[in-house]
Amino acid sequence: MVKAVINGLKVEVLEGTTILDAAKKVQTKIPTLCKHPDAYLHASAACGICIVRVKGTKKMLRACCTPLEEGMDIVTHDPEIVSIRRTVLELILSNHPNECLTCGRSNNCELQSAVADFGIREEYFEKIVKDIPKDDSTGNIVLEPRKCINCGRCVDVCQNVQDVWALTFLHRGINTRMAPAGDISLAESPCVRCGQCSAHCPTGAIVEKDDTRLAWKALRDPEQYCVVQIAPAVRVALGEAFGFPIGTNVTKKMYAALRRMGFKGVFDTNFAADVTIMEEASEFIERFVHKKNVLPLITTCCPSWVDFMEKFHGDMIPHFSSAKSPHEMMGVLIKTYYAEKNKLDPAKIKVISIMPCTAKKFEISRSREMSASGFQDVDVVLTTRELARMIKQSCIDFPSLPDEDCDHILGEYSGAGTIFGATGGVMEAALRTAYSFVTGEKLPKVEFGNVRGLKGVKETSVEIEGKQVRIAVAHGLANVEYVLNLVRIAQKAGMPPPFHFIEVMACPGGCVGGGGQPYGVTNELRIARAKGLYSDDEAQTIRCSHENPYVLQLYKEFLDKPLSEKAEKLLHTHYQKMPVYRR
Amino acid sequence: MGKTVFIKDTTIGGKDKTRDIYGILLGILRERGLENEVQVVRVVDIGVYGQGVAMRVLPENFLYSHVEETDIAGIVEQSLLAGKPLAAKLVAEDSKQLRIVLRNCGVIDPEKIEEYIARDGYQALAKVLGDAPEKVIQEMKASGLRGRGGAGFPTGLKWEFTRKSPGDQKYIICNGDEGDPGAYMDRSVLEGDPHSVIEGMIIGGYAIGASKGYFYIRAEYPLAIERIEKAIKQCHESGLLGKNILGSSFNFDVEIRLGAGAFVCGEETALIASIEGKRGYPSPRPPFPSVKGLWGKPTCINNVETLANIPVILFKGGAWFAGIGTASSKGTKVFAVTGKVKNSGLVEVPMGTTIEDIVYGIGGGAMPGKSVKAIQTGGPSGGVIPKEYFRTKVDYESLQQMGSIMGSGGMIVMDEDDCMADIAKFYLGFCVDESCGKCAPCRIGGTQMLRLLKKVTEGEGTPKDLDQLEQISHAMQKASLCGLGQTAANPVLSTLHYYRAEYDAHVNNKKCPACKCAKLVRFLILSEKCVKCGMCFKACPVNAISGNRESGYLIDQTKCIRCGQCFEVCKPRAINRS
Amino acid sequence: MEKLTKEGLEKLRQQGAATEKNYIKVGFSSCGIAAGAQEVYDVLCEEARKHNADVEIKKCGCVGICSAEPLVEVRVKNMPRVFYGKVDKDTAIKIMEKHVCGKMLVNDRIYDLKVN
Repeated sequence: MVKAVINGLKVEVLEGTTILDAAKKVQTKIPTLCKHPDAYLHASAACGICIVRVKGTKKMLRACCTPLEEGMDIVTHDPEIVSIRRTVLELILSNHPNECLTCGRSNNCELQSAVADFGIREEYFEKIVKDIPKDDSTGNIVLEPRKCINCGRCVDVCQNVQDVWALTFLHRGINTRMAPAGDISLAESPCVRCGQCSAHCPTGAIVEKDDTRLAWKALRDPEQYCVVQIAPAVRVALGEAFGFPIGTNVTKKMYAALRRMGFKGVFDTNFAADVTIMEEASEFIERFVHKKNVLPLITTCCPSWVDFMEKFHGDMIPHFSSAKSPHEMMGVLIKTYYAEKNKLDPAKIKVISIMPCTAKKFEISRSREMSASGFQDVDVVLTTRELARMIKQSCIDFPSLPDEDCDHILGEYSGAGTIFGATGGVMEAALRTAYSFVTGEKLPKVEFGNVRGLKGVKETSVEIEGKQVRIAVAHGLANVEYVLNLVRIAQKAGMPPPFHFIEVMACPGGCVGGGGQPYGVTNELRIARAKGLYSDDEAQTIRCSHENPYVLQLYKEFLDKPLSEKAEKLLHTHYQKMPVYRR
Repeated sequence: MGKTVFIKDTTIGGKDKTRDIYGILLGILRERGLENEVQVVRVVDIGVYGQGVAMRVLPENFLYSHVEETDIAGIVEQSLLAGKPLAAKLVAEDSKQLRIVLRNCGVIDPEKIEEYIARDGYQALAKVLGDAPEKVIQEMKASGLRGRGGAGFPTGLKWEFTRKSPGDQKYIICNGDEGDPGAYMDRSVLEGDPHSVIEGMIIGGYAIGASKGYFYIRAEYPLAIERIEKAIKQCHESGLLGKNILGSSFNFDVEIRLGAGAFVCGEETALIASIEGKRGYPSPRPPFPSVKGLWGKPTCINNVETLANIPVILFKGGAWFAGIGTASSKGTKVFAVTGKVKNSGLVEVPMGTTIEDIVYGIGGGAMPGKSVKAIQTGGPSGGVIPKEYFRTKVDYESLQQMGSIMGSGGMIVMDEDDCMADIAKFYLGFCVDESCGKCAPCRIGGTQMLRLLKKVTEGEGTPKDLDQLEQISHAMQKASLCGLGQTAANPVLSTLHYYRAEYDAHVNNKKCPACKCAKLVRFLILSEKCVKCGMCFKACPVNAISGNRESGYLIDQTKCIRCGQCFEVCKPRAINRS
Repeated sequence: MEKLTKEGLEKLRQQGAATEKNYIKVGFSSCGIAAGAQEVYDVLCEEARKHNADVEIKKCGCVGICSAEPLVEVRVKNMPRVFYGKVDKDTAIKIMEKHVCGKMLVNDRIYDLKVN
C-alpha cells in the first residue's frame, strides 16, 4: 500500500494506482479527455488535461499514467494548472469542428462537457480543422476523423482489447489521424464491426450508422407489417438513457414503448435464444456423445467473433456451431412460422432487431443464408442507443410507462435465454439443456458460477453422466488466441482436445458491454448489467430452454426436432475463410 | 628538417597582404642566400583570426601576429637563423580543442580494425572484462560523464539503474537517430571511428548485464550504417562480438535497426517502440526504460558520442576524465559549428570553454564583411544566445540558465542578416513537422504557434498574437508528454526574451530589422549611387530587374521575390534594403 | 581473422603502432565524399603510380573541418605534416608532383589548423 496526500487529504491505495484513480478515493475528479474509466483501456497520456503536480515543484505530471508514490503531496488544481488545462482545451477546441448541434454525440460528448465545465465562451484560437472525408463504407460504423481528438481509445481497444488491428494512427504532427491501417476504407480493413471504438470514443468521431430513419420509414408505411425483437442485453442497459439505475431491467416498459411506437408484433430475442440452445446443445451432444464431428464445439452467436474467426482463424471453421445467432433465427421464424400461423405475407413483414451491437447491422446481410425465409430475415438492426433516441422522438415518457407483456408465441422466454447477454451465458444455458438431454434428468442446480464474471478466459469442467465436459469461455477478442492455441497444440500433438465446448463473445463482458450500448461502459457497469440479467433469470419459473413450452410447441408444430432437415435449412448456416484485407 | 614558414593575412575585410609579405620575405631570403634552406608557403588558414598578418615558423612552431613589413628582417634574423622567438610578435597559442571522442576521426581508416587497435582500441574492453561489472559502473560514476544526447543524465547512474533492475534479459541501445538540424557529430563518429562506439557498447553491455545490443541509426546515414556493418563483421571475425569475447565468459552481440526518418524516434520511449516495430510514439514515464524498456526488459539507451567516450574513460580512468571540464560537466563536448561562420565543422572542446573561443577562436568568426549576432544551441529544443553572452563557459547548466540547452551539440552561428522571429519560425516549423501527433499540446499548440509566427513575420501580427505565443509556449512546456513537445517552444521563448524589440518591430512597425522577412523588406536601386554595371540585372532569378547599361536599372516590386541576390552582388552598394 | 585473445590484441596493437611511413590520407566521410573525395583519391593514386612515389594513400574519416573538404593530410619525411583543403584535381596533381616528389609545399591550399 502507498500512503500519500492529495489536495491535503490523506489517501492510501494499492501500489501502482495512478494519481487519477487515487484521487477518486478522496472524491476528486481530475478532468481528462483521453483516459476512459474502463479498466480494459490503457492510459495513452494524449490529451494533456489531467496534469497535476507535487506540491512545491514546477514539473507537471499526467495523473492518468503516473503511479502515486509513497509520501507524494499532490495538488490537482492551482491557478497555473487550471490555466494550462484551459489553454490545452482551447487548443483542442481550435482543432475541432463546431458541429455540435448536428453531431451524433451532442449532449453526450466528453469534449463538449469539458468545454462547458471550463466556461469557454469564445474561440480563443483560430480554427484549424482539416477537411477529411468521413468513412461510412461499412454501413454500420462511421468514422468522422475531423471530430477526432486523437485520444487513442479506439486504436487501443481495436488493437489491444480486440486484437483486430483495423484502426491505427496515420501520418504525424497536425495531420495525425485515426484511420484504418494503410489508409484504406474501414470496409476493406480487418474491422469486425464490434463497435467498441464507437462505444469508447469521447466525441462523435466514431459513431454507429444511424438506421432510425429506415425504422421510421417502415413503421410509417401502412403496407408494411412491422415487428420488433429485443436482444437480452438491451433490457438491462436501455434504462440508463432514461435515468434508471445501472442494471435496471426495463423489459416490460420497453415492450410498452415499442407497441406505442407502432410495432404490430413485439417479440423477444430471448425466445430465439432458447431455440438456439435447442439446436446448439443438440449439436454438442452429436459431437460429444455420438462423436459425429470434431471437438471442441465453438459458439457462434456473436457476429464479430464469426467475422474475426473467418478472417484470422479459418482453420477453426470445423469447430464452429452451425447454429445461427438468436436474432437471425427469430427473423426467419417470424417470416416463416409466424407468417404462416397468422396468414401474413412475409414479403410485407419488416423485422426490426434492437441489439446491443453494431456488428448485428452487418450480420443481417453477411450471406445468402441470412435470407433463409426467401426474404432478408431481419430488415433493420438498431442499437440500444438508437432505440433510446426513437423512444424520445415518439414523445414517450419512458419511466412512467406501465408494464406490458410481449406478444405470443415468439416472446415468452426461459431464464436460460435471458442470460445470453452476459459472458458465459450461452455456455451456461447450453449446459443446462445438454445435461438434461444426455441424462434425461432435471438439473438439481441450474447456476454455473464458474462461467460467470469478468475473468478474460474462464476454464472449468462439468460432469455429465460421469464424463468431464471441459469448457472455456472467452470474451474480448484478444483472449481468443490463447484458447485456440491450446486447441491447436493438442491437435498437433494428437492429444485429446483441452476443451469440449468453447464460448466466445467479442466484447468484454459479453453483450452487456456491446458496442451499441449506452456510453461510458466500465467493469462496474458490465457487472451491474449482467446482474440485472441473472436476476431476470432467477425471476423466471422456467430456467432451461428445453422446458420453454412455446419452444416445444414450435418444434411440434413446425420444426419437428432439433437438427431436423427444416431446422438445418432455416436455423443453420455455413462459414468460409475470408481475406483479412478486402483490397 | 629544414625551416618552413606559413604566411596568412588574417585581417577581416580590406586588402589581403599575404602575397606582399610573401614577396618581401622571399626577397630577404634570396638576399641572404637562404632560399633553399627555408620554405615559405602561403596558407589559407593559420588558426588565428583578425590579427593582421600571421606567420608560423616550423619546426619551432613560433606563431606571430600583426607582422609588418618592418618585422620581417627581424624574424629572419631571430627565428630562422638563430632559432629563437621574436617575443614582441609572438601569439600565445594554446590548443583549444581536445579530442577524446574524435580522437580517431580523420586519423584512422574506419574500415580497418587493425588501425583502431593500433591506437589502443579494445584495450579498455580487455581491461574491464577482468573487472566486476559493478567496478566498471563505479569507474563511470567517478568519471562524471553525462549523456551527450541532450538531457545530460549521468551515464554511470543510468547503467547502475539498468544493472539493478531485475530481469533475465537486458538490452543496450546505441541511439544514432541524430536529427537536430545542423548537428552531425554522431554521423561523423559512426563514419570515422565505428569501432569506438562498438567498444563502448560492449563495455556498456558488460556493465549492465546485457547480452544484446541494438544500433538504432537513421536510414539517412547510409555510409554510417555501411561502416558500422563492416565493423560489426570484423568484430565477429575477430571474436570481439559473439561468444566468449576475448577469451572471457562474456557473450554479447549487436544488431542494427534503421530509423525511418522521424525526429521523435530519438526520444527513448519512441525509439523503443520503433525498434519493436510499432508506431514511433513516446510513452509516459514511469516506467523508465531502465526498468521496462525494449520488449518490456530493462534497457539502457546511450547516445553515439557518449559511447565513443567510454573506451577512453575506462582506459585512462574515471579520475582522468573527471579532471577535464567544469564542476558539473566533465570531459569534452563535440559541437557542430555551422551557419554564418568561417570554418564550419566539428570541434571538440573541454566543457567550460567559452562560446567566444569556439565561435571566434576555432570557428574563425563571421563570414567576411559580416558580424556575428548570436548562436543557437541545442537544435529545435534549444534557444538563442546573443553575442553579449559569449564569454559564458559552456556546460549543461550554464546553457540552461541562458534559456538554451546543450542538446546534442549543434551550434548554429547567426549574423546580422538573421531575423530572430524568422529563426524561431524555422525551428518551430521543424518541431511541428516532426511532432508525432500524439498529445494535444504539442500537436495543436505547435501548429497554432507556427500560424502566429507566420502572421508576425508577414507583418500581420498583433500584440495579442505575441501574448498567445507566450501562453501556448507555457502550456506546451508544462503539458506536453515528451521532451520534443516540452522544449519545442524554447526557440520562441528565448528569442522573445532576448530580442523582444525585433518582434515588436514586426508587429508594431511592420518592419523586419534584419531585412530578412520577405513580406516586410523592399529593395530599391539608388540611381545616384548606381554605376549601371548590370550585375543586379544578371543576378535576379525572376527577371524583376529591367533596364540596360545606358538607362540604368529598375526593380519591379510586383515581380520581386525579395531574395536579396541583387543586394549581395551590388559592389557600389547602390541597392537599398529596407 | 583469428579469434582474438588479450595477448593477440596486444600484439596487434604493437604491430600497428610501429609503422612510420609517408602517407596521404583523404577524408572519406559523407562530407568529404560529397565534396569530391573519390576523384581526389583516384587522381592521387594514379599520380603516385605515375611517379612511382614512396607514399601510401589511405582513406580516413572526417577530421572536422567540413567546410574545407575534400581534405587531404600529407605526411612526408622531414617535412611538416599539413592539411590541404578544398582539394581539386589540379591540387591533387600538385600535391603529388611538388609536395611528395619535389618536397615543396603547395601555396594557397594549406589549412594550418590544430585538429589532432
